[in-house]
Order: sequence, then C-alpha cells, then structure tokens
Amino acid sequence: MLNRRDFLKLVGVGGAGAAAGFALGEKSKNPSAELIPYLVPPEDIIPGVANWYTSVCAQCSAGCGIIVRVMEGRAKKIEGNPLHPINKGKLCARGQASLQALYNPDRIKNPLKRKGERGKGEFQEITWEQGIAMLSENLSSLRNNKRETEKLYLLTSSIRGHLNSFLENFIKAYGSSNYLQYELFQHENLLLANNIAFGQDTLPYYDIENTKFLLSLGADFLNTWVSPVNYSQGYGHMRQGRPGIRGKVVQIEPRLSLTGANADEWVPIKPGTEGLLALGMAYAILEQGYYKGRDAQEWKNILNKYHPKDVAVLTEVDERRIRALAKEFAVNKPSLAIGGENVASYENGASQLIAVNILNHLAGNIGKNGGVISNPKGASLSNRRGAIKKITAFAKDASNGKIKTLILYNANPVFTTPKTMKIEDAINNIPFIVSLSGSMDESTAMADLILPTHTPLEDWGDDFAEPSVGYSIATVMQPAVSPVFNTRNAGDIFIDVAEKIGGAIKKEVPWNSFDAFLKDSWKKIYDKNKGIVIQETTFDEFWDNLLAKGWWRLPDISSLKPGHISTKGINVYLQKEPSKFDGDDKNYPFYLCLYPHSGYLDGRGANLPWLQEMPDPMTSVVWGVWVEMNPKTAQGMGIKNGDMVSVESPYGNINIPAYLYPGIRPDTVSIPIGQGHRLYGRYAADRGVNPIEILPFKVDPRSGAIPLNSTRVKITARRDAPGNMVKMEGSTREFGRKIVETVTPDEFSKMGMEG
Amino acid sequence: MGKFLDKILERFKIYRIPGYYEKYDHKWTMVIDLDRCNGCEACVVACNAENNVPVVGKEECGNKRTLNWIRIERYVEGEYPNVKVKFIPIMCQHCGKAPCETACPVYATYHNQDGLNVQVYNRCVGTFTCATYCPYDVRRFNWFTYKRDEPLNQQLNPDVTVREMGVMEKCTFCIQRIRAAKDRAKDENRSIRDGEVQPACVQSCPTGAMTFGDMNDPDSKVFKLAKSQRKYKLLEELNADPSVIYLKRVMKDGSSATHEE
Repeated sequence: MLNRRDFLKLVGVGGAGAAAGFALGEKSKNPSAELIPYLVPPEDIIPGVANWYTSVCAQCSAGCGIIVRVMEGRAKKIEGNPLHPINKGKLCARGQASLQALYNPDRIKNPLKRKGERGKGEFQEITWEQGIAMLSENLSSLRNNKRETEKLYLLTSSIRGHLNSFLENFIKAYGSSNYLQYELFQHENLLLANNIAFGQDTLPYYDIENTKFLLSLGADFLNTWVSPVNYSQGYGHMRQGRPGIRGKVVQIEPRLSLTGANADEWVPIKPGTEGLLALGMAYAILEQGYYKGRDAQEWKNILNKYHPKDVAVLTEVDERRIRALAKEFAVNKPSLAIGGENVASYENGASQLIAVNILNHLAGNIGKNGGVISNPKGASLSNRRGAIKKITAFAKDASNGKIKTLILYNANPVFTTPKTMKIEDAINNIPFIVSLSGSMDESTAMADLILPTHTPLEDWGDDFAEPSVGYSIATVMQPAVSPVFNTRNAGDIFIDVAEKIGGAIKKEVPWNSFDAFLKDSWKKIYDKNKGIVIQETTFDEFWDNLLAKGWWRLPDISSLKPGHISTKGINVYLQKEPSKFDGDDKNYPFYLCLYPHSGYLDGRGANLPWLQEMPDPMTSVVWGVWVEMNPKTAQGMGIKNGDMVSVESPYGNINIPAYLYPGIRPDTVSIPIGQGHRLYGRYAADRGVNPIEILPFKVDPRSGAIPLNSTRVKITARRDAPGNMVKMEGSTREFGRKIVETVTPDEFSKMGMEG
Repeated sequence: MGKFLDKILERFKIYRIPGYYEKYDHKWTMVIDLDRCNGCEACVVACNAENNVPVVGKEECGNKRTLNWIRIERYVEGEYPNVKVKFIPIMCQHCGKAPCETACPVYATYHNQDGLNVQVYNRCVGTFTCATYCPYDVRRFNWFTYKRDEPLNQQLNPDVTVREMGVMEKCTFCIQRIRAAKDRAKDENRSIRDGEVQPACVQSCPTGAMTFGDMNDPDSKVFKLAKSQRKYKLLEELNADPSVIYLKRVMKDGSSATHEE
C-alpha cells in the first residue's frame, strides 16, 4: 500500500528531479521506487529522449570521465566525457563494456547468508536488516573485548577519493589499523622506483603527445598499462597530430605486445635484462658526451660496469643497436623512456624501473614537455599508498589467527595470488568473513555473509585520478540509474552498522548516508576554495555544475619541482644482474611472461560477454585463453596451432591450447591473465586456466609487488586432450593483397605537410 | 490528357540528368588513419553497445558466425625477429556502386539519399546473396534469434532495431545518429555542423584514427583529410567506390609476400 507519507516522498523525488530518482541526503532507499514509478513522472524524464549523466569509469584505475546515456531510467551507452582532461571524450573497450557489469545476470541480487559448508557456494537469501544485524553483532562482540578490535581487517580493491577516506575513518573509529588495498596491478614497483629516484611517491604524467622519440620498455601503454586511453590519445597525436613531425616508437620486450605491434622497431630482449639495457644506453649517452650535467663524471663512475659490449651479451641485443638507440634517444628531443608492467613484473622490477628513470634523467627528459612531467600530490584524498599493506602480511596474519573478521570489498585475492601463497587456506582460518562485492567471485564465495553493493553506475562516489595530467583532477560518480537489484552503497552499509554499534563509532560517522557524507566533504572543498578558484556563489550551484561537468580541477597543494636524480647512493639500487627465474634451464627451458588481457585485465572483465567475444587484438582468440609460443619452437616439438599443451613450472601445471605467434622469443612463452575463473558468473566460470596459479610465492620486500615474470616452465604436448581454442582469424598473412597499404618513413617525410 | 502526360514526363526528366544518382544530400564519408589506429578494439565494443549486436557465444564464434559490424583485421608478416604487424578496422564501406545492392531480389538493401547503403530488415528474406556479393565481407547473417540473458536486455538501444533469425545486417554508419542530427538541425533551422554526427566507433576511438563527416561540405574535416597523399580505398580495383577512405600506415617494410614461404 502506498501511504500518504510515501506518496508525498514520491512527489518530492519527482519534483526535485534528482538523478534517476535519487534524492540527496535521503536516508531511505527511495521507498516507492517499486510502486507505479511513473504515476508521477519525474520532470527530467521525457520518454524517447535520452539523458546523459556524468560519472567516472571504474573498470581500471585510470579514472576516465564518462557520460552515461539513460533512456527511461535505463543505461544504454557509455561514452567518454568530452570535457574530461584524462580521456577527452574517448573510452576503451573495457569502459564501454561496463554496462554489462550493471546489467549482469549473475550479480548478487540480495544479501546472502552462508548455508552449507564454507566455500561450497550454498547461500540463502536474507533481508538487509538481518544482514546488517549479523555484521553489527559480530563487530560489537569483537569490540567488547578491547584488544580484539585490531582483529578486524578490511581488504578492498584500490579505491580512491572520499570512499577511501570514509573507510579509513570508520576503521580507525572502530579501533583497527588494518585497512588494506590489494589488486594485481597497483604499480607498486613503479611508485617505489620513482620514490627512490626522484623522492616522489607518485606516478608522473608521460607526455607522449609531444614526444619525438618514445622508448617503451615493456609498457603496453596502448592497451592495458596505467592510463591507456590517455596514452592512446597521446600516441595518435604523436604520430599524426603534428604536421611535419612524426614521433618514433621503439618497443623493447620479449613478447610483442599490442603496443609493440604499433612500434617502428621491436627489440626482442632477453627477459629480465631490460634495466641492464637502459643502463647500457645510459653508458653510451655519457660516453658520447650527450649529458652535460656537472655530475657527468660521477655518473660515468657509477655506470662504468655497464659497457654496451657487456650489456649486449646479457641482453642479447647487438652492441651497435644499443649505441644507435642511445644516440637516437639523446639526439631526438624531446624523447621519453617508459618502463611498463612487463619490466615491473620481474623480481628486481623496481631496480629496472630506476634504470629507466636514470635514462630519462641523462637525456634531459625530466620536467620537459614531451618527457616526464611530475604530478602534484593533489589534495591527498587519493590516499592509496597509505593503505597498501603487503598482501603477504595479510596472509600471514590470517594463518596466525590474527584476523577474526574480514570485510572484503571488490578485492579478489584468491584469484590474483599464486597457489603457492595458499591464501585460500589462510582466509579459511578467519572465523567470520563478510563480502561487500557485487559478484560471486572466488573470494566472495568463501564469505559467511554477503552484503552486495552497487555497481558504479548506480552509486555515488568520487575519484582522484592517479596519474593525473600534470594537475590534480577530481571526478564525481553519480547514479545514472536506480539500483537494478537489492544492493546498497558500501558506505551506507558501514553507516548502518555504526548506528547499530553506537557509541564513539556513531559519532565518527554522523551522516545519514554516504551521499550526504560525500556532499558534505565537497562542501568543505567548496568553502576552502570559494572566491579563489570557485566562482559559484552558492554550494548548490557549485555542486550542480560539478555534476553536470563531471570533474573539477583541484588546486595543487604541493607543487613538485622537476625531479633530479642524485648520484648519491643510487649505486645500491642499480640492477646488477638479469632478473632471476625459478627452475633450471634444462628441465624448464622457457621463460614464462604473463600479461594482462586487453579485455579482462586482472580477471575482473571476464564476466562481461562483450569482452569475452571481443577478439584478442594480437591473436584473435575469443572466449578462452592460450599460451603464445614461437612457431619454430613449437614446430620442433610437433605442436600445431591450437594443440593442447601442458605448461609446467616447478610449482604446478596447467593445460592450455598453444597459439603459434612469431612475435615472441623462441625461449619465452606468454599467457594472458584474466581467464580461469572457477566462479564469477556464467560468462567467466570454467573458461580456460589462470596462469597466476603456477607462479612461485615471491614478493618484493620493499614494494610488496608480486613478480609475475619469475619462473621458467616446461612445455609438453598433450595429445590426449583436444584443443578448444576458438580464434576469429583465417590466415594471418596478407598475401600481397594490399589490404593495409603502407608508405615508408622516407616517402612520408617527402610528402611534407600533405602527408 | 496529353498535357498531363507531358507534366509527368517533365517531372521524370530530372532522373535523366547525368550524375543524378550520385548527387546526394550528404555524402557521408569516413576517413581512417591507419598510422593512428592501434588495433585496440574499442570501436568493436562501442559498436556492439550502440547497435544491439548480439553476443553469439563460443560455439558460434567457432562456426565464424559472429555478428560484429566492425572488425579489426590483423596481419602478421615476416618471421621472428623481423615481425611486422598491421591493423585495419573494416566495416561496411557504403560503396557508391555497391555490389550487394544489385544482388538483392527484394530490394532490402538500397542506396539512400545520403549515399548510404541501407538495409531494410523487414524486407530481407535472407537469401544471403548480398553477403556473397560483398567483397569486404562485412554483411552478417542472423542464423538464430539470439536471446539476451535478463537483465542484459535492459541495455538495448531503443533507437536501433533488434534483429531476428533469417535477417542480414551490417554497419549503418549509425544511421540513427545521422537522423537525430538531421532532426536537430532542422528544428534549429540550420545545416548539420561538421563533427555533429559521430558513429559509435568514431566517437570511441582513443587514438582519433577515425573521422566522420560530409564529403559534400568542402570545409569538413573528412574533405581535408581526403586530400592526403596517403589516401587509398580498400580493394579499389573492384570499382565499388567505397565511402571509407583509409590513410596509409607509415612503416619501414609493410609489404607482404604473395605466397606462403
């Protein structure tokens, strides 16, 4: 029955015209949403006419601004926000596909309570009241014994912005210091390398757009690395956006990535020696006198062990080529070297990335347009690193019984850590596990209580992009549609719990709802900057404009000077030898290099059918996984395209179809990460294998990064198992049909401005 | 009576003016710079989302029955370590002299006043003839009616027909977006601005490789880009007169052997 009170609320919501029926500060979850929703039509909905809402893409951590096309309350299409400085209206395949995360049929639709044995996946539906009560009771009982509050752990994906500060507040108020963030690609090594080299614990802005010579060491920046849409735009401009100037790209990596496929030159380097190559190039730059700094002699002394002749032996790159690259890098200004995921994924990844920083420094690329531009620390709201605690420490605490209650939020450590780490057993030790994730992934399946949260398209929030584009950017997330299922905002869950627990915690989170907290926080930003950088005379006006535009430029709190690498003490951090790979080369003849799949990234995209059916750009494989082998190597072993092989490391083995790929070294094999989910919905489950499983248990003690390229493997043909790889390509050859026509760089330069 | 006949004949005279059939209100053209295209497939997913292109599943993919309107062709030339990879996005080329149009027995595919090659789904009887006539392999046949698992169906774009079994489909240059822009321009009593119409693929393209516009407008971006010396059309020797213009990729040795070595 619709009572008078509810009716008035409904009219109020419609009259206010808040986005998709959401009223800010309204604690109740739109009580009448299910009752004749169009009896009083909301003012801003005209049937047949689309509304566009700004928001932020959460498919990776790049922080692109998006606009969502909504018709009659349903999200139809996502496009890049044309006003947003990171992606300027563009969006990648993963971002486009996030609509299917919203309307995914396998989302958790109601709060769930474990029924059978843990991990068996048997749950029963409960109400939100019951769910909140269960969590509150547990947290209350932990809290009654004062020493136990530290035994509450919160493990989330890398979230930034006000949700992050909200959770920090809550955990602190509760009396725990164990708020951790974990996902596979957190760029810990890159941050560490920047911190050591420049004293700046930030990701810089790589000005690809204005560079003339781009040296990419294992950075698949056009596909998956850090901020691919921004970099792709820069790439397009670098190639053809400046009449008369066409930037050159050289890709250095053992396996030709999508970015490598677009490069002018590919240097198939021996895995684990990229940093040495960078230092060898640095040596050549110093030797030729291209570096004019006062400390040139000191650098020479430090780098005297990296003579290109010696480096050539280790890297298997010709000495002449190293010298030629060094010359090109030093002469073509501005030049830019970036060290990517493939380099960061070695055991000594941080050292190798420091070598890349040194290379940039010696070529004079730091702080220059077309080079490496430092990002300001911003408003410190993206307190990401403060929360990173090593996942290994978490596993240890879990096994030692130091964790009594674990709250998971969008983190899936069971899928993204090696089996040798035994995180599943560790987590199983925890008496009470609550998951706030919206999908039944491998970690959520271990939970005792599941309180499903909204997807970003239904949610309030904000994001402070890192890396930014040289200045700080805040992007606001607003609900484009009403919740599809019976889900809630994560912050709201904690607010409800705080209310139940009461006392000091309630005082720390006095808001009625997370969106009230969000608006309050933005009010503080407004008050601080009103009249300085904010022209709007009232907060409401500012807030409306913010939601319409989607993002806001924050005043930079600390402006960082262009980093200068001091020679002092850098010696310790230089790469001394090729990165180690487990397994002896006799029994395990191949290096194993893993890379994030262009659609699934660290596995999170595997439940979206559009991404499953999107042919992989390099292999055209759909709905599956494969191991890339050099055709010559495979031929020698009698392995044909699509044949099943066993990939065995000292730590385990997986069966996987082989894809013969000429773009990989004969001594290396490569597997994309992302498939091999046991659960995670009908589109992802039981599809291929997860290569992370066969990795050794190693962690960089300084950064906490898990090295993905750290083991050798043995390949054996599995004649007994049928191959199940489906690829969309026919032949990979063009056969002189001139389908993709080309001009040489010389011909192009002769064309001049008309090219 | 004679006067009446004369009047009719007079009216039909315009159809005899040479070039009448090539004089379009707009000449929608796409320019794709292959030196910018990096093969990332953002366009493919954007098209799926905009045009209600169904997901067919692994088995049907294996039968080569995907329904993607746009695809990235990828060619790998040479042997390790001298490997060259080339990408090219291919969608319906909206040929001026389209082979598919001559083939259809029921006129389900025809040329409209904007120079677009359009498909009328409820005329199509599924003879598959057009697909066999198309040199670009861009026409896709609905072998089945594909169901979307609820609530994925809520995402369907109401501006685009949901096709069923037995119907041929292909890229429309996002005709719904062209229509919307035309209506807007008409309401505001102006002509369509350059860049106002962006098909989903062009809109999403992160590298800015794709540009869409009216070739009849000499101030348009596509008109200017089409002057590039790198310009070429796909399989131009077939004289189908495509509306998609490619700009050649710049690379050292882009040639391919005519035979498997």
